Amino acid sequence: MEQNAIYELLAGALGDGALGYNEHALEPWADVAPAKVVEACRFLRDDPRLGFNQLMCLSALDWDGLDEAGKGKSTAILGYTDDGQPETSDRVGTGDLGVAYHLYSHALRHKFTLRLRVPRDVAAVPTVSGVWTTAAWHEREAWDLMGITFTGHADLRRMLLDDAWVGHPLRKDYVMPGTWNGVPLQGQPYCANPFPVETGGPDQPAGDKPAEG
Amino acid sequence: MSTHATPPEGYDVSREHMLDFKVDEQLLQVVETDAKNFILTTVDEVFNWARLSSVWPVTFGLACCAIEMMATSATRYDIDRFGAGAFRATPRQADLMIVSGTVTAKMATRLKLIYDQMPEPKWVIAMGSCAIGGGPYFKYGYHVVKGVDFIVPVDVYVPGCPPRPEVLLDGLMRLQDKIRGRKGRFITPKWVTDYAKLIPYRK
Repeated sequence: MEQNAIYELLAGALGDGALGYNEHALEPWADVAPAKVVEACRFLRDDPRLGFNQLMCLSALDWDGLDEAGKGKSTAILGYTDDGQPETSDRVGTGDLGVAYHLYSHALRHKFTLRLRVPRDVAAVPTVSGVWTTAAWHEREAWDLMGITFTGHADLRRMLLDDAWVGHPLRKDYVMPGTWNGVPLQGQPYCANPFPVETGGPDQPAGDKPAEG
Repeated sequence: MSTHATPPEGYDVSREHMLDFKVDEQLLQVVETDAKNFILTTVDEVFNWARLSSVWPVTFGLACCAIEMMATSATRYDIDRFGAGAFRATPRQADLMIVSGTVTAKMATRLKLIYDQMPEPKWVIAMGSCAIGGGPYFKYGYHVVKGVDFIVPVDVYVPGCPPRPEVLLDGLMRLQDKIRGRKGRFITPKWVTDYAKLIPYRK
């Protein structure tokens, strides 16, 4: 089925929960209200004309520095300096967070993308692990790295990082750690020579030599 | 150095001044009567020869460099030719740790534990850019230790991303050179201790 027709079906089922549709992107997406996402997913999976039986991917998004319309200047993320020390900044991130759901139907062989935005300070999204079981791990990863809380999730623990980790590293305003749990994470200057060679050897310019004769 | 049981024909002990060593007549008598060969060496050389001839690595792969390490241990390159083919599944039977891959913050604690469980004498090869200095994760690697020498002392650095098996074999041979040259109680050279002072974790 065409992407536009899928969105028309979805908009008819959701009513005011469907916020918009971008058909000019490489992978067209539909924006839905966060409160209606479970209803939308259940409709997309169960309707016989759609039959989206697989959640291919669940991605977390960060609009740091961008406004509601997606306008603004995206900020450069913080890293380590050439000396290996963490770059510091007192900037607090602005802009929304979001989640994108990439869906696929094995029987009908069509794709669709759902997207939603939540405010940065209360980044809470209803879980869709009741619709597709595989969403449980994807949501754990999104919580681990981007700090999006999925309400109703049965086991929302960190997935890749240690349980004692502080912060969510893939947010654009994350400050790199210097150490963690006694393990050094800062580096040494990778181009510094610990044994500098003294300049000025036996080869002196010819003009410094005394004239012969 | 060995000598034959019977002196060669025409050998004359009285021509000893032409030799560069002094012939012990009593020892020569023992050699003639017992008809045994003998070797002159030192305890250090025997021990070092034994150690470098069978360096047992611990089965320990971290990332894509481990694929090259596996290729090195397989038939085409065959690290067993150098006596280092017995990958042990426990650190308590191993002499060598090949840190093959990216050392993450989580893995660093386990790596230190494995290193501490290995019996002395033990050696470490840092294989690949990540294990040497963080590699491509130096700038934005919030989870990567920028060089395994922050965690354990490293004997040989093998550069590459990942290094080809020939390079790892060369690193093993350099390690064997290092073991061969070890005499008595090992004294760290001054430039090594100077360099270690620059590394904060070793202070």
